[in-house]
Amino acid sequence: MALATQRVDVPVIVDESKCLEKCTACIEVCPLDVLAKNPETGKAYMKYDECWFCLPCEKECPTNAITVQIPFLLR
Amino acid sequence: MFADSDSELNQWLEMLRSPDLSDRLVAVKTLQHLGDEDALEPLIVALQDESCAVQKLAVTALWELANPKAVPALVECLVSDDQEIREEALSALGELISPNHLMLLLEALHRNHLSMQLSVLILLRKIHDAQSLPYVLPFFESENAELREAAVTTLRYLNQVERCQPAITLLSDLNDGVRRAATLTLGHLADAEVVPALCQALTSDPDWQVRRNVAKSLAIHADPKAVPALQSALSDKHWQVRKFTLQALQKTPDDHTLPALIKALTDEYSDVRRDAAIALGKLKNPAALNALQQSLDDPDRDVCIFTQRAIQSIQESTPETSNA
Repeated sequence: MALATQRVDVPVIVDESKCLEKCTACIEVCPLDVLAKNPETGKAYMKYDECWFCLPCEKECPTNAITVQIPFLLR
Repeated sequence: MFADSDSELNQWLEMLRSPDLSDRLVAVKTLQHLGDEDALEPLIVALQDESCAVQKLAVTALWELANPKAVPALVECLVSDDQEIREEALSALGELISPNHLMLLLEALHRNHLSMQLSVLILLRKIHDAQSLPYVLPFFESENAELREAAVTTLRYLNQVERCQPAITLLSDLNDGVRRAATLTLGHLADAEVVPALCQALTSDPDWQVRRNVAKSLAIHADPKAVPALQSALSDKHWQVRKFTLQALQKTPDDHTLPALIKALTDEYSDVRRDAAIALGKLKNPAALNALQQSLDDPDRDVCIFTQRAIQSIQESTPETSNA
C-alpha cells in the first residue's frame, strides 16, 4: 500500500467560490507563512500543514472564505 | 521610495472606485493594512459604498487609522440597516470619540432613530460630561424600555451628577432591566429619597437581580438608616441577595444585626457564610465568638480563613477576652 505523502484534512479550509484572486490578506497576516496562492486557480490554499490556530487569516478574509478547524482539545 | 509608496497607494485608491465588487473589497482591505493617512477621505467615501461588506471594511479601516476626522462619518453609520456595520461603527467610535465630539453626539441624540439613540447613549458614557444630563433625561420617559435602561445606565457615568429625582421614579418601572439599571445608578446619587427608596425595593421588588443590585448600591451609600431593611433582606430567598446584603452590612456595623449574622454563618451557600464571618469581624462583638469558633470547621476553606480573621479582629479589639 502506498504511503500518503500529503495530508488532505488541513486545518485551514478555503472556500474557493468566495476567495478573491487579487486578495492576499490571509497570506500577509499568517505569522507562519503557510498560506499561498495556487498559481493555476489564483485562490489561497494551505501550502504547509503547520498551523498555530491563531485565526487572523479567518478574521481578515474580506469575504469570510476561510474556516480554521481548531482541534477539539485546543478549543 | 516615496514615489513608489504613493504610486502603490494610488493604485489601491483607483481600485476602490472600481465597478467590480471584488476589486473594491481587495482595495479596502489592503488600505486597511497599509494604514496610510492619505486614504482617510477615500475610506470615508467608501462608507457610502453600495456593498455592506465594503462599508464594514471601511469602518474597520477608519477605526485603525484612528483619525478623529472620521468621527462624523462614523456617527452616520449608526443608522445603517446592517447590524454588523452599526456594531463595528459603535466599537470604532468608542475608541475615537473625545469631549470635542460632545455636541455632535448630542445633536445625533435628537434624531428619531432607535439604534442611533441607543448607540449615542452608550457613547456618552465615554465622555462623562454632566452637560449631557438635560439630553439624557427625556429618555427616562421613553416608551422603549431599551432606551430607558440605556439612559439610566448613562446617568451613572456622568461626573458631578449627584441628584436626579427622575431616576428614583424608575424604581417602579414595569421592565426588570430598567429597574436593575436604575438601582445600580442610584448607588451613585445623593438625593435624600434615594436610600429610603432603595430600602423599599430591597424588601418588595419581585426580581432578585433588582434586589441584589439594591444591596450593592446600599453598600456604596453605607447609610445606617438602611440597616433594618438590610437585616430583613438577610432572609431573602436568593443567595446572591443575602451575599450582597451582608457586604452592605459590613460597611455599617450594627449590634442589632448580630443574631441574623450568626444565623447566616450556617447558610447553604459558602459565599454567604464567608461574608457573614467578615461582617461579624467588623462588628467586633465578643458575643459572636462562640458561633465563629464553630465555623472554623466549615467545609469551605475560604470561610475558615475569614472566620479566623474575624475571631482575631474581635480578640484584638477586646484584649480581656483573648486573655481569658
